[in-house]
Amino acid sequence: MSLDYLWHGFAVALTWQNLLIGFIGCFIGTLVGALPAIGPINGIALLMPIAYTMGLPAESTMILLAAVYCGAEYGGRISSILLNVPGDAGAVMTAMDGYPMAKQGRAGEALALSGISSFVGGILGTLGLALFAPVLSGLAIGFGPAEYFVLMVFAFATLGSMVGSQPAKTLIGCTLGLMLATVGLDATSGAYRFTFAEPELGDGIEFVVLVIGLFSVSEAMIILENQGQGITVIRELGRMTARWSDIVKTFGATIRGSLIGFVVGVLPGTGASVSSAVSYTTEKRISDTEGTFGKGDVRGLAAPEAANNATAAGAFVPMLTLGVPGSGTTAVMLGALMLYNIQPGPMLLAERPEVVGGLIASLFVGNVILLALNLPLVNIFARVLTVPNWMLVPGMLVLSVIGVYSTHASVFSIFLMLGIGFTGWLLRKAGFDMAPIILGFVLGRVMEVNLRNALAISGGDPSILFESTISIVLWCMAIGVAFLPWFLARRSKKKMAALLAKEN
Amino acid sequence: MSEHSPISARTAHLIGRITAIIFLVLALAYGFGGSVIEYAFSSDPLGPRVFPIGLAVILGLLAVLYFFSPGSAEGFPKGALLARVLGIPALLVFSVLLFEPLGFVVSIFVMTFGTALIFEAPVKKALLGAIGHAALWWFVFGFALEVYLPTGSLFGG
Repeated sequence: MSLDYLWHGFAVALTWQNLLIGFIGCFIGTLVGALPAIGPINGIALLMPIAYTMGLPAESTMILLAAVYCGAEYGGRISSILLNVPGDAGAVMTAMDGYPMAKQGRAGEALALSGISSFVGGILGTLGLALFAPVLSGLAIGFGPAEYFVLMVFAFATLGSMVGSQPAKTLIGCTLGLMLATVGLDATSGAYRFTFAEPELGDGIEFVVLVIGLFSVSEAMIILENQGQGITVIRELGRMTARWSDIVKTFGATIRGSLIGFVVGVLPGTGASVSSAVSYTTEKRISDTEGTFGKGDVRGLAAPEAANNATAAGAFVPMLTLGVPGSGTTAVMLGALMLYNIQPGPMLLAERPEVVGGLIASLFVGNVILLALNLPLVNIFARVLTVPNWMLVPGMLVLSVIGVYSTHASVFSIFLMLGIGFTGWLLRKAGFDMAPIILGFVLGRVMEVNLRNALAISGGDPSILFESTISIVLWCMAIGVAFLPWFLARRSKKKMAALLAKEN
Repeated sequence: MSEHSPISARTAHLIGRITAIIFLVLALAYGFGGSVIEYAFSSDPLGPRVFPIGLAVILGLLAVLYFFSPGSAEGFPKGALLARVLGIPALLVFSVLLFEPLGFVVSIFVMTFGTALIFEAPVKKALLGAIGHAALWWFVFGFALEVYLPTGSLFGG
C-alpha cells in the first residue's frame, strides 16, 4: 500500500494559502459548532457556494469545508458544557458529564479535557482514514456500473435501518431526494424531465439551492420556534487546564471512543450522534463501577468527545473511496466536489491525489490548529453563546441569498430555495430528517446512470445486477442490514414474552 | 397550553396520515409525469421513463406503510408564534421581490430589519443591525470579493 498520495497531500495542505484557509475554516467551524442554533451541515452549506464563487481550487475548498466540519465537532462541546444544550448532534452525550462538571465549578477543566479528547479522536480517526482510503479504493476499482448500483442500494438500506427510529420516514426522505435528482435534462435521451417548461430547471435543481433551502431557511424558522426556552450560560469557568491525573484516567475511554467513532463513521448513514451515544454507553458499561457517570465523571466526557471527532474523519472513508457519503455533512461535501465536476469514487484517489491527499493531510494539520485554538481561546468561543439570534439569523439568511444568487445570478433560484426551505420546515415538523433527502439527491443521478449503463452493457438483461461476487455480497449485506432491526426487535420481543411467562 | 408544547400521539398520527396521503398523491402525479416523458430515442434499453416510474412505485409503497404506522411528529407552533414563524418566508419572498428592482442593499436592509423584528429585537437595534448587515455584506461580497450583486434596475443598475 502506498502512502505517496499523503506526502503529496501534505505538500498541498502546508502551502501558506491552504494553511490560512484551514485556520479560517477551523475558527469558523468552532464558532458554528459552539452555537446551539446551527451545526456543521449549516455552516458548510453556507460556505460551499461562497468558496466556489471566490474561485478557490477544489482542494482548497475541500480543505476549508473539512476544517469547518472538524471545527464544529470541537465547538459543539462548548455549549454542551456551558449551556447543557448541544452545539451539534454529536455533542449530545458530552453534556451528560460535561454540564455537571461545569455546575461543580470545573467548566474550564471540562473544556480543556474534552479539547484534548477531541484532538486524540480527530488524529486517530484521520490516521484510520489515511490507512483505509487506499485499501478500500483499491478494492472498489473492480466495481462496474452494476456493482455501483447495488452499492447505492446497500447505502440506502443501511440508512433506512440505522438513521432514526422510523425507517419508513428515512426511506421516504431518500426517495424524495432521488426524485428531485431526476429533474432536468436526461443526458442519454435528451428528454426534459419534470421541468414544467421552465428553462431554469433545464439543468436540474442546483445542489446549492437544495442544501441551503433545507438547512438554512427551514433552520431559521426552527430557531425562532425554539427561541427563549430559559437557557442560562455558566460563566464561572474555573481552572482552564486539564489535570494530568484526569488525562491518565481518561486514556482508555478516549482510545475506545476514538475506535468506536471511526468504525461508526465509516458506515454509510450513521453520524456523530450515533457514535457518541454508542461510545458513552459502552464506556458506562466498562468503567462506571461506582455510579459516577452522569454526575461529572471525566471518562463520560472524554469518550463521546473522542468518538464524535473520530466519526468526522471516518465519514470521509466511504465518501472519498466509494463516492457514498458516510453522513449528511459529507453528502454536502460530495455535492461540493460535483460543483467542480469531480466525480467521487474509487478513481478519485488515482486521478485527483491532490484533492484526497490534501484533504486528509489538512485534517491532521487542522486537528493541531484546533487544539491550539481551543485550549487558549475557549473563553472567546464561549462568548459567542451570548450573540442574540436577532443578530445571527439575519446574517445567516443574507449568506443564503448571496450563496444561491452568486452561482447563477438568478432570482428564480432564490425563490426555488425559499420554496424548498418552506417544504423542508413542513417535513421537519412532521418528524422527517433532512439528511436522507440530501443523500438521495447526491446519489440519485449516479444511481440512475449506473443502472442504465449496466443494463446497456447487458442489452437490457437485469441479471447483470446479480452476476458478480461483489454484487451478490452487496445484495446480501443490503438485505441483512434492512432486516436486522426487524429481526432484533422480534428476538427481544420473544425474550420479553418468555421472561414474562416465567414470572407468571 | 403553551404555544410550543409537545403534541399528543393522536395529533402526531393525524399529521403522519395527512403527510402519507400527500406523499401518495405526489407518487401518483410523479409516476404519471414519468410515464408521459417525451423522447425520440435513447441509447440505453431503460430510457428516461423507467427510473422515475420505479421511484413513484417505491414512494407509493412507503407512503402506504407510513400511513399505517405514522410514528411521532414535532407538531406545529400555534397562535402568535406560528404567525411569526410564517412571517420569515413571507418576508424573504417580499425582500427577494425587491432584489432586482431596488438592488441588493435595499433588499438586504428590508430582509435583515424585518427578521430582527420577528426575532423581537428592539427597533433601534434592529435598524442599526440592518444598516450594518447591508453595508458589511455589500462591502465583503460586492466590493472585496467582486461577486455580482444587483444594484437596482430602478436606480439605473
